[in-house]
Amino acid sequence: MVAKRDLRDAVSELRLIAAMVALTLAIPLASGTGVRALAAFGGGTAVVNRLSLVGAFFVVFIPASFSLVLALESFVGERERTTLEVLLSTPLREAEIYAGKVAAVLAVSLTLCYGGLLVYCFVTFPGLGYFPLAILLALALSTICQVAAMVAGAVIVSLNARTMRAANVMASFIILPMSVVLQVEAALILVGRAEFLWAFALMMAVVALILLRMGFNGFSREALLARDVGLRRPWRRANAALRASFNQRPGLFRLVWMRRVPLLIAAAGFPLGALAGYLAGLTNLIPANVVRPVLSTLVRSTGGGGAIDEALLIFSHNVLAFLLVAGLAVVSAGLSGFLLTFAPGFILGFAAALSSWAFALSGIVPNGFVEIPAAIIAGGLAIQIGAAAIHMDARGGWAARVLEAAADYVRALRWLVPALAVASVLEVFLG
Amino acid sequence: MLEVEGLAKRYGDVLALRDLTVKVDQGECLVLLGRNGAGKTTALRCMAGVLLPSAGMVRVDGIDAADDPAGVRALVGLMPEVPGLYERMSARSYLDHFGAIYDLSPELRGRRIEDLLELFELSDAGDRWLGTYSKGMRQKVALIRATLHHPRLVLADEPTSALDPDSARRAWIYLKDLQKEGCALVICTHSMEEAEHLAGDIGIMSNGRALAVGNVVELRRRSGLKTRQEVRELPTLQDIYLAIVDNQRMDQRELAETRTA
Repeated sequence: MVAKRDLRDAVSELRLIAAMVALTLAIPLASGTGVRALAAFGGGTAVVNRLSLVGAFFVVFIPASFSLVLALESFVGERERTTLEVLLSTPLREAEIYAGKVAAVLAVSLTLCYGGLLVYCFVTFPGLGYFPLAILLALALSTICQVAAMVAGAVIVSLNARTMRAANVMASFIILPMSVVLQVEAALILVGRAEFLWAFALMMAVVALILLRMGFNGFSREALLARDVGLRRPWRRANAALRASFNQRPGLFRLVWMRRVPLLIAAAGFPLGALAGYLAGLTNLIPANVVRPVLSTLVRSTGGGGAIDEALLIFSHNVLAFLLVAGLAVVSAGLSGFLLTFAPGFILGFAAALSSWAFALSGIVPNGFVEIPAAIIAGGLAIQIGAAAIHMDARGGWAARVLEAAADYVRALRWLVPALAVASVLEVFLG
Repeated sequence: MLEVEGLAKRYGDVLALRDLTVKVDQGECLVLLGRNGAGKTTALRCMAGVLLPSAGMVRVDGIDAADDPAGVRALVGLMPEVPGLYERMSARSYLDHFGAIYDLSPELRGRRIEDLLELFELSDAGDRWLGTYSKGMRQKVALIRATLHHPRLVLADEPTSALDPDSARRAWIYLKDLQKEGCALVICTHSMEEAEHLAGDIGIMSNGRALAVGNVVELRRRSGLKTRQEVRELPTLQDIYLAIVDNQRMDQRELAETRTA
C-alpha cells in the first residue's frame, strides 16, 4: 500500500515525468547516435567498442542519480510535511513502511535506468558486430546496488535531517562517495574486463546491503518522531561523551576476551593473506613490472641510515599504520582492521611463492612474535570500530557506541605502541 | 478504555513528560489544557502507541502499548496538530488509502467516506487535490481520517483550531456523537470553550507534568476561586455569527424546496 501510494505520487507530477522520460530517452539516443556516427566515419574498432561501453555507463548513471532525489523526497520530504507522522500513527510496522518506500524509489529509478539502457542498446549495437553482454549485465547489477545504496543513504540522512534543506546539505555525504564509486566503475569499464566489473558489482552489493540494513535498523518511530532537543552546549556535551566513553572500560586482557570475535577475524586475516599472496605469486596474478618497483621502494625505505634510525623508521611507520587503520575503520566498515593483518600476510605469502617459505618467514622472525599479536589486537579493535559505525539502533546511541569502540582502541595503544617499539628493535638488532 | 500510569517520556536529556496518570472510560472525554511545550503532544503520541514510554504504562482496551504498540495503534485514531495530508491526492483517494491501511472493506470504507464527506460538507470538493484545500478543509479531512475506522479511542491535537465557528460546532457535534457511540476521547486544545463543551475530565499540564486532573466542578473547588455571579444579557459574537449562518442555510433550504415543488 505504501509503495503503491509513493509510486502514484512520484508519477503524479506531469512536469517531473516529462523531464525524467526526456532524459531517459534523449541521452541514450544522443549517445547511441554518437557512437554509431563514430563507427560509420572511421573510428577504430577498439575505440568504438570502448566508447560504446562508456556510453552505456553514462546512460545508466543519470537516471540512477534520480534515486537520491526521489528517496530524499520520499523520506525527508514526508517528514518535513508531517505526512510521515500520520503514516507512523497507523498499525503499519516500520519494516512495511520502509520496504514500501524503498521499493517505490527503486521501481521508478530502475525503470528509468533500464529503459534508457534498452533504448541505448537498440540504437547502438545492431550492426556494430559487438555486444558486450557480460559487461552490460554486470553494469545492470551494480546499478541496482548503487541505487539501493543511495536510497539507504537517504534514509540514514532522513534520520538526521528534519528539513529538505538540511537533507540536501547532508546528501553530499552520499554524493561524494558515490562519485568516487562511479569513477572507479568508469575506469573498470574502460579497462573492459567483465570479471573486474562483476567483482565491483559484488562489492557494491555488499555495501548496499550494509547500508540498507543500517537504514532499516535506524528507521523507527522513536527516531523519526522524537522531539528535536537541539544541540545545547555542544562542546560540553562532546567533552562529556568523550569522557564517558573512557569511563569504566575494561583492561587489556578483559578487552581481548570481550572482543574475541573481531580479534579472531583479524587473526584469520594473516593466514588468509599468506594463502592469497602465495597463490597470487604462483599464478603471476600481479605482473612483475608492478611488483618490482613496489618491493624495491619498500627495501629502499628501510635500508638507509644507522640502526637506530632504521628502528625509529620502522617504529614510526608501524605506529602510523595503526593510527590510519583506526581512522579508516569508521568509513571502511572495519575493513582496514582486517587489512592490517591480511596485507602483511599477503606480502609474506607472495615472497614465499617467489622464493621459499623458510626464506620468507626468516624475514619476520623474531619481531613477528611481538608485531603479529599487536597487529591482531589492533586489527580486531579496528574491526569493532567499523562494526559500531555500521550498526544503527532504533534507540539511537550511534555516537556513543563508536566513541566507546574508539576509546578501547586508544586505551589498547598504551600497550600496543610499546610492543611496536620492542618489535622494531628486535627487527633491526636481531632480525 | 485508556489507562495511563506514571507515564514519562525523555528525549535525550530533556524530560518532556513526567508522571502522568489519567484514566478515560468508554464514552468519556478528557481534555488536556496547557501552554505550548507542556507535553500534550508527547502524551498523545505515547497514548497512541506511536512513541514508547520511557517509564510508566499506557494501556488501551487492556492492551499494553509497550507490549503491542501496533495493536494499540489499530484501536486508536490519532489526529495530529498538523493535518499532514498528501498534497497530490484527492480527499476520496486519500481517505480510501487510509481506510485500506486500517483494513476496512472497500464497500464499508466507500460508504463511510461518502457519509463523512457529506457531514463535513466536502462532498463536492472530494475529487480535488488536497493541495488545493483551505486550512479548515484540511483539518476536516484529518478528522475524518482519524475516525474513519471507528476507533475505540480518538486522540486529537487541537482538532478545531483552523475551523470557522460553524465547522467547529459541527466537529464538536460529531465528536460528541462518537462519544455517545462509546468512543473515548482525549483532546488537546487551547480553546477553553471547546474544553467546557466536550470535557468530562480536564487535565491541566505544564512543563511535562499534569498539575491537576478532574472535572470542572472539582477543578473549580481546587483552584480556591470564589464563586462569582455572572449575568450575560447580550448574545456573544459567536452566537450572533452562528444564528446568521443558520438562518441563511435555512433560507437556502427553503428556496431549494420551493424550486423543487
